[in-house]
Amino acid sequence: MDRRLPPADGEWIDRDAPLSFRFEGETYRGFRGDVVASALWAEGVRLLGRSFKYHRPRSLLSLAGHDANVMLADGLRTNLRGDTLPLAAGMDLTAVNTFGSLAHDWMNITETFSRMMPVGFYYKAFHTPEWLFPFHERQMRKVAGLGEISPEAEAAATPKDYAFCDLLVVGAGPAGLSAAIAAAETGLDVLLVDDQPRPGGSLQWAWRSNEAAYEKFQQLLARAELLPNLKIRSGTQAAGWYPDHWVALVDAQRMTKLRARAIVVATGCFDLPAVFQNNDLPGVMLASAAARLMHCYRVRPLQRAVVLTANRAGYQTALDLMAAGTQLAAVVDLRAEGETGAVLTELYKQNVPVLRGHGIYEAVPTFNKQAVKAAVVCPLDAEGQLQTEHTRRFACDGVVIGVGYSANVAIAAQAGVRFRFDETIQQLVPRELPAGVFVAGRANGRFELDAQLADGTRAGLAAASHLGSHTGEIAAVPPHAGEAPSHPFPIFAHPGKKNFVDQDEDLHLADFANAHKEGYDSIQLMKRYATVGMGPSQGKLANDLAVRILARLNGASINETGTTTSRPFYQPVPMSHLAGRRFHPQRRTPLHQWHVAQDAEMFYAGAWQRPEYYRREGTSREDCILSEAENVRQRVGMIDVSTLGKLQIRGPDAARFLEAIYTGNFANQQVGRLRYGVACDETGVVIEDGIVARLAENFFYVSATSGGAAAFYREMQRWALLLGHNVTLHNATGQLAAMNLAGPRSREVLAPHTDQDLSGEAFPYLGVREAQVAGVPALLIRVGFVGELGYEIHVPATAAHHVWTTLFEAGTPHGIRPFGVEAQRMLRLEKGHLIVSHDTDALTNPYEADLAWAIGRRKEFFVGSRSLQIVRQQPSTRKLVGLEFAPAAAERLPEECHLIVEDGEIVGRITSIAKPSTLGYPIAMAFLRPELTSVGRQVHVRLDDGSLVPAQVVAMPFYDPENLRQREEELVAT
Amino acid sequence: MPHRLLKFALSPDYPESRMFRAPSRLGDRYDVVIIGGGGHGLAAAYYLARDYGITNVAVLEKDYIGAGGTGRNTAIVRSNYLTPEGAAFYQTSLELFQDLSRDLDYNLFYSERGHFTLAHSPASLRTQRWRAEVNKHLGIDSRVVAPGFIKECVPELDLSCGGQQAPIYGALYHPPGAIARHDAVAWAYARGADERGVEIHQNVSVTDIDVRDGQVAGVQTDQGYIATNKVLSAVAGWTTSITEMVDLRTPLVIYPLQALVSEPLKPFLNHIVVSASLHLYVSQSSRGELVGGASLDPYELISMRSTLDFAEGLAGHMLDLFPCWSQVNVVRQWGGLCDMTPDFSPIMGTTPIEGFYIDAGWGTWGFKATPVSGLTMAHTVATDADHPLIRPFNLQRFSDFQLVGEKGAASVGH
Amino acid sequence: MKLVPCPVNGLRPLQEFHFGGEVRDMPDGEAVSDAEWADYVFHRRGEGAVKREWWYHVPSGVWFIAERDNRTDEFVRSYLYEENGDG
Repeated sequence: MDRRLPPADGEWIDRDAPLSFRFEGETYRGFRGDVVASALWAEGVRLLGRSFKYHRPRSLLSLAGHDANVMLADGLRTNLRGDTLPLAAGMDLTAVNTFGSLAHDWMNITETFSRMMPVGFYYKAFHTPEWLFPFHERQMRKVAGLGEISPEAEAAATPKDYAFCDLLVVGAGPAGLSAAIAAAETGLDVLLVDDQPRPGGSLQWAWRSNEAAYEKFQQLLARAELLPNLKIRSGTQAAGWYPDHWVALVDAQRMTKLRARAIVVATGCFDLPAVFQNNDLPGVMLASAAARLMHCYRVRPLQRAVVLTANRAGYQTALDLMAAGTQLAAVVDLRAEGETGAVLTELYKQNVPVLRGHGIYEAVPTFNKQAVKAAVVCPLDAEGQLQTEHTRRFACDGVVIGVGYSANVAIAAQAGVRFRFDETIQQLVPRELPAGVFVAGRANGRFELDAQLADGTRAGLAAASHLGSHTGEIAAVPPHAGEAPSHPFPIFAHPGKKNFVDQDEDLHLADFANAHKEGYDSIQLMKRYATVGMGPSQGKLANDLAVRILARLNGASINETGTTTSRPFYQPVPMSHLAGRRFHPQRRTPLHQWHVAQDAEMFYAGAWQRPEYYRREGTSREDCILSEAENVRQRVGMIDVSTLGKLQIRGPDAARFLEAIYTGNFANQQVGRLRYGVACDETGVVIEDGIVARLAENFFYVSATSGGAAAFYREMQRWALLLGHNVTLHNATGQLAAMNLAGPRSREVLAPHTDQDLSGEAFPYLGVREAQVAGVPALLIRVGFVGELGYEIHVPATAAHHVWTTLFEAGTPHGIRPFGVEAQRMLRLEKGHLIVSHDTDALTNPYEADLAWAIGRRKEFFVGSRSLQIVRQQPSTRKLVGLEFAPAAAERLPEECHLIVEDGEIVGRITSIAKPSTLGYPIAMAFLRPELTSVGRQVHVRLDDGSLVPAQVVAMPFYDPENLRQREEELVAT
Repeated sequence: MPHRLLKFALSPDYPESRMFRAPSRLGDRYDVVIIGGGGHGLAAAYYLARDYGITNVAVLEKDYIGAGGTGRNTAIVRSNYLTPEGAAFYQTSLELFQDLSRDLDYNLFYSERGHFTLAHSPASLRTQRWRAEVNKHLGIDSRVVAPGFIKECVPELDLSCGGQQAPIYGALYHPPGAIARHDAVAWAYARGADERGVEIHQNVSVTDIDVRDGQVAGVQTDQGYIATNKVLSAVAGWTTSITEMVDLRTPLVIYPLQALVSEPLKPFLNHIVVSASLHLYVSQSSRGELVGGASLDPYELISMRSTLDFAEGLAGHMLDLFPCWSQVNVVRQWGGLCDMTPDFSPIMGTTPIEGFYIDAGWGTWGFKATPVSGLTMAHTVATDADHPLIRPFNLQRFSDFQLVGEKGAASVGH
Repeated sequence: MKLVPCPVNGLRPLQEFHFGGEVRDMPDGEAVSDAEWADYVFHRRGEGAVKREWWYHVPSGVWFIAERDNRTDEFVRSYLYEENGDG
């Protein structure tokens, strides 16, 4: 039987593009422009999905993504919404969450036990005996969920884009179109979006059979066409509204982040479902779904239908159905008075029974329970209750429900619109609008087409007026007059308990009464206990029913009952759309390629990449590191330290400022000399350290840790303001590169390539000089974190490679080798130098870190000074000390952060360890209780396996305590 | 099928009685007034009644029970904290949780899933070892594991994180890490407290606290004055508005914390996966939804609005770890409030105001502390002395410069 | 994304900013007791209100003061620290 209707203007399908696809193993055909559900429906397939809990047969209900009855998988993609998924050739679709097959889903057995599974049943069972719960849980996890995710699923990188407009109009129905046109005609840059594939909204289905309406629709499109400043994006949902009119627009390809200056919400309404027994059977559908089938996809919805209605629009649907070749078994009107006028006359003419003041008691299933065979209709009493002793049965293959609407408030509510329930139209309408947010059309309670159009124009002009492009009067649009378009309570009890309120969650009417009886009597508690609105469609159809039910149960008004909070997203958004292309910014030093070419093992230090060590053929990582370190001790090595923060402080108050930032004294520092600087935060915790070089009376150059530089610079800037010091700060971290040439032969390597006299007299230890290195202006700093004669060479980043390679070539006869961060850590540990945030933690003060010597005496103020006065009076709880291990312990050594335990109590923690070291035995730095820190004291470190390894407290530095290696010549000179 | 369910099948009428009594009028005087009907406040009420026989108690909730952090968090329970004080406290909580469904006769879906805290750098791995070692010392099941073990447990995980950033070096693994049904915890405590005579008043706002000569005398509400000498503030993200009423200075600042949830998927993710570097934590609920959260919003705000930045950032990080989730649909995002302290530890116990007790500073870790907070605050209120487990967390520690070291090296955990 | 008014760069997206906490007046350390100093260091005015806060525009390195309602997230105004908000 051909269910497709003859071609008509404005249909969405392209009959010249037939498509073949598979569903549950069978091959079907449809057209481009179909959604999967419309194509299957046209092919006579009624059973399209199974419900979440009872695995009841389900099918199309809204045909617009307002329900989640048809959830499909196609290869590795899953949870596809069949009622909005555009049909594509070659699709191989199956329904998700079926056991066996869609047609024979044995999990439907749960329905048999449904009486045992009332609302919240799982809170009341399975938890005793406790040992059985994991078993129950495993069973529950087997049946939970919908689609199955495949580990093979493609990792999509979906680009995002950005857009800007003056006015965003959401919803391209009659109100949205006219709002967008009115605003664009004032000159505004307007973007109109709609989640449906074509603009027009209800003009394409609800109003489609009205020729005058269709003509107005075409005129609107023509007017829109003439406006170059009006862009229309169909197939694009406004997924979420965020502060400052930042809106996520989502289409099949991407997410667009839009910044608008104002927004008109013309999102219309969802159809309000009716609740009766078996209202979820395939064949029971909303009026808008029937209209979409007929007018957009040109499919005859049913062969013989019962129309359940409570408004004039339902009669129009009935007439449309007849025009589409559907026989009408009956029109059942919940209203006692029913409808009058032409629509009624027309139905009578066709001998359609019209039952006023009646409702549907149940849809009667076919033998296989997968379709409708009849509807049972009863009269309603004065209270709106079905009088079940008077039943009439109408054979039919489906029920079309058009009993009213619920406003689609999602985006408006997110944008801050507050709603109230208007009893005269039985619908939410805006009560309070924030600045720059406007609501129009059915979402604003306007239902006649002319009123919708006029309301759109009003909202468009109001937005234009808000944005300054329109002045003058704006005609108000009178509120809806006459009968409410929506029925107050199209909800009917049935002992069979298959009268569903929330089809996502298989919640039926009695579940609500039961939850209420237990005390879950507010909308929020009801939502959470019964899980109404928590399914994949997020309650688009269920929420308004739930509020109506709860209001009745509480004997309260809808306004007193309230609503739940609208949250993004309007429709689900794939993670790939949100994630975008996932850029990961990386920082590389100018020498990066050189390191890579030298087979460096690179690691991430925050955003930076640094050489951990340089690999050598046939040598273990540990041996590579040790030999790099030994080469520094014995010959000469070079390390890239460009990641160090490099900050410049200039101005008359520069010295004064640094005295405030660091714990030490700098006012009396000589030009051309270095000092070590320690910085604390206001609580007295050590946060930074580095060198402070005085380049001129009013010019200092300081280093900061790689990870902390940006924050330290930022805080320095703030302190400069707070203290009112006359200084100028500059962060030169990225502009400059730095390398440290270290080892006994470093002077020999450098000397031929610099104009600086490197003799101890001309350039002593802790000196700083501006000089040429390899023909490049450089800052030479005589300091050595690693404890050997050494030079830190700071040069412009662009010259780094030249200087580095020049020195490296010069060093080759001297046995130069690059060394990585690991060797540097070993060497500095041997020298007893701590690394802030490695050897210190978020509460370490300078006294604990053995840095008291770095605190300047007689200083009035530095950041943290007053706090340290307080801290200093308190008993100390830990101190950073050196530990050494017997060389024989090599096989059983702790890792960093293993604990030191004495008498079953934690007394300390290893902060750094060098297992092999150039000293020939393992050493470590550790926090230890002060009473245990006497040199020679033995302590025990607990390993992973719980065993203890002894270590001895030793004085630091471990290596060259006299510092002879670095300042030998000065000592010789004196 | 447990036979408890048979009663539903066999009873003609719905056989369940009310979980809590219908609201009554607010009384004139209570022995204890608890401000905040979230998990903490209700648990405190339950233990006050159960353990101390103090039942003339009113719980005042300005919205509905569980409306705040209780119903907005990602329901993770763990005890692998860094400090001995923290670990001991949360371990007690975890042990209470393990037995809570039976204790309250309510299935809280307490489900031990195993909790991974991924390390994306050697530095992060050493912090995890620190935690593991402190945990082991206290008998908490917690250890550092290698990437291979993680991959075995969570095969969908991409250990290279897409190759454009630091890979996974290992993780702290905490087998008892669990998830639970968060709302149900509040409901079950509410029922337990209600059964014992505690009055739970929803939709009642406290507008002022009456303090006379440094001693609490009563509470002013939008529904009248209540005389009482003991007030427990258990309102987490709203604490600053309560402490303002009694002129109590605290370090608390309020930050939003957001979360999101996917459509239901067939359960595949059996563990809780946390990455501090990527600011992410995710687990799969018993309904099959992936529930995930990120770090705090970047600035203070006492509002539960959503931001797109959060959803973009979290989705990006989820795909860094789980590239096969690209097509997974996110259905909803939401927000809650966190009352942050400078040392990432709560503020609990007595205060300089006699009869005013505080249970705050819950930051991102409040849910997992629900039972132990109730237990210890009940003790504190009943005996007017801080329970030993919460002594390190007294507000006084800030004035004394005696902060708790939970912040560790710098890492943030959830 | 939230827009933040920088007195130098105008309205810029939040991502470009770093939040620096509420503006606090540092007492004279010598003149206050330990407890008063601890109060300054640790305690905050955490309640909902329009507050003076530090904000930092990262790309341009500008610290400024914004008056913002921390309940509604509305920026009332912003100005440079030295401008004191009167100008």
